[in-house]
Amino acid sequence: MNPSRDGGISRRAFVKAAVAIGGTAALSACMGREQPTLPTGPDDPASLPDRQHAWNDSLRTDDHGNDVPPRHHVFAQFDYEGTPTPSAREAVESALRSVERAYPHSHEGLLLTVGYSPAYFDRFDADLPDSVDLLAPQALAPFEDPALDTADVGVHIASDYGSVVLGVEEALRGERDELNGVSVSAFPDSLSHTERRTGFIGEGLPAENQDVGGIPDSEPVPEDAPLYMGFESGFAKSQASEDSVTITDGPFAGGTTQQVSKIRLNLQQWYEQDDRFHRVATMFCPAHAEEGTVEGTGENLGDSNQMEAHGCPAHASDDADSGVVGHAQKSARAREDGEPLILRRDFDSTDDDQATVHFLSLQEQISDFVTTRSMMNGTDLAEEGAVGQRTNNGILQYMTVVRRGNYFVPPRAHRALPEPDPT
Amino acid sequence: MRRRRFLAATGAALSLSTAGCLGLFETETATTRAPPLVEDRPDAVYVPSHIEGMEMAGTATSGRYTFALSYSFPHRFWLITGDRTRQVEIQDGQTVHLMLTAWDAETDTVIPSSSANVTLTKDGETVVSNKKLWSMLSQNMGVHFGDNVALDGDGTYEAEVSFGPVETRLAGALAGSLADRATPTFTMEFTQAQLDEVSYERLSDRQGERDAESPMGMMNEMMPSGQLPPAAQLPGTVRGEARSDDATGDGHFVVTTLAPPAGVDGEGTYLAVSARTPYNRYPLPFMSLAATLSRGGETVYSGDLTDTLHPELGYHYGAVVDAVESGDTLELAVEAPPQIARHEGYETAFVGMGPVSLTL
Repeated sequence: MNPSRDGGISRRAFVKAAVAIGGTAALSACMGREQPTLPTGPDDPASLPDRQHAWNDSLRTDDHGNDVPPRHHVFAQFDYEGTPTPSAREAVESALRSVERAYPHSHEGLLLTVGYSPAYFDRFDADLPDSVDLLAPQALAPFEDPALDTADVGVHIASDYGSVVLGVEEALRGERDELNGVSVSAFPDSLSHTERRTGFIGEGLPAENQDVGGIPDSEPVPEDAPLYMGFESGFAKSQASEDSVTITDGPFAGGTTQQVSKIRLNLQQWYEQDDRFHRVATMFCPAHAEEGTVEGTGENLGDSNQMEAHGCPAHASDDADSGVVGHAQKSARAREDGEPLILRRDFDSTDDDQATVHFLSLQEQISDFVTTRSMMNGTDLAEEGAVGQRTNNGILQYMTVVRRGNYFVPPRAHRALPEPDPT
Repeated sequence: MRRRRFLAATGAALSLSTAGCLGLFETETATTRAPPLVEDRPDAVYVPSHIEGMEMAGTATSGRYTFALSYSFPHRFWLITGDRTRQVEIQDGQTVHLMLTAWDAETDTVIPSSSANVTLTKDGETVVSNKKLWSMLSQNMGVHFGDNVALDGDGTYEAEVSFGPVETRLAGALAGSLADRATPTFTMEFTQAQLDEVSYERLSDRQGERDAESPMGMMNEMMPSGQLPPAAQLPGTVRGEARSDDATGDGHFVVTTLAPPAGVDGEGTYLAVSARTPYNRYPLPFMSLAATLSRGGETVYSGDLTDTLHPELGYHYGAVVDAVESGDTLELAVEAPPQIARHEGYETAFVGMGPVSLTL
């Protein structure tokens, strides 16, 4: 337990805690700490991108050209009672536009998506068009048994400012009527809030928030790590482009699908029993460990985790025969025309006081995620090689998927309580 | 903890303070009984510096799976990645070495390979969250899943286990079984006083000798020991044996042939290689083992052997070949030594494993 650097707890830990707790008191405390000075958003939110998931142009990029995700996140879930009415639809769109008017569309301001689950679409007689591949969530490995999301709606809210994330969530839930000097409105009463998942990503935040179950008391998370496991992720060349995860045909062209897994981490073994060779070999690739490719958190890798440069995907089977195979190495086997299939927008979390990852990904079809996850499981490698189902098999030893949900993120024009067959 | 502090802080109108938190972080020191490691350990199985007993916490059955949960003192062990071993030290606060043993109820076949996920709660609070126990090999405790964990003092613990399915090929009377996950639960009464009653013996006179401690009595009374049959009792025609030497890193290999058992595809002869520890005949799981079978100087089979679990053969490596004749030569190449964690006395054996040649 670090005593705080400034006699209290640090600003970023404080803000993370506020986002995790939520509510009006947390919001006002958080505002007091952050005091963001932000312009308001566009008067006419219709000028915002047609794709809800078009965030990348509004993100900061680092020196290597990697997109840097917003630091604070909430994934808020809602249920809708009955069949959506025109007035409810209008209220949802008004609420979303009101919060968009309050903050700029940027990493410092507000980035959000609204998605709808298979459970939501089940209430309609009509089916989604074939161009939308929205499978029901399911277990994706023989050894996992996640609870499956039943919520109808999932709203992903992100910003570098925790107070923005909290404020927007509070506004949509009807707890605020003004944000950043702008009048805001709530979702209709027919949308009831069911669950919230919170989190963060970015240098310093995991180290500041490592006092949770699943991380040993020795405070092993590096100060400069963006994620609990101590390494960079989201290398530009390991990410699908927004274009490639976008649905291109049919009435929902411009939409995408979203997969959200709640994953518990237990990193006691990772930090106290494994050594750096093992951590690099299992997170990246045995070749990276042998050759010392990864320095520190891996920022030296630039814009690529250098899987292809070291031939990692091709020798996954040989490496499994030799006793260890890497997570990125396995995942890099899931590519189409050389491009990854999923766009990661995951973040770490202290939800339930346990070290957690909310693995949120976007892909054109849910089946793209299923393919990627199947490669990541490495069940084929465990069957033929010396690696176990989890042991020495990427990072499966340290993670447990406890929930999974799939959502369809429509284009902006259909983001408010859509029908499955819009005209 | 920060969460609590934050709540306190917001309750006090943002007068932030670190006071009142320090007492939350006191940890008890583990009861460590770790004498110095034996000097000049041989690259072979050896008698460890000490031996510990264990306490049974309970057993549970789920379908064909049976499980035993037990514990002992926390102790050092070794993990292996490829051919690199690393010593795992006891960490501050760790109170027990927790062990799960799994076997098939119908055949008493001990299962060395799968995913064993454990969560421990006490009074509704999570004490250990989703820890994946390592597959381990111990001279007196056999093949089990284990790790050192930090309990939260005396009391009643609920252990929720998620186990399986078994990824190893299943053959014979095991074919088609053990394909499900099992989720046994245990209630474990723990007191430090009871742990202190567990036997502990220094082996000062024998430590370092090339030998092994025998499986403890409990292993055969309350659960199967996981020992493989002696060579002469393996099914089929036992064709040869490669005994301990430096080239094999102290592993023993017994080769037998039989008709392909249920669960193994192919027609011809099933060539089964039983890789085992010396003295105690425990299986050596998670190896990559390749075989080349030659007759009169010509290769008649060359390929990987598949890890397989069979009631009479136990855990072994096998492949279907056209035929095996007397006088054939079998070359076994170990592409990865057993990727199983080891208790003291096994960590220097089965690491650098050279090729083995047998005349069948």
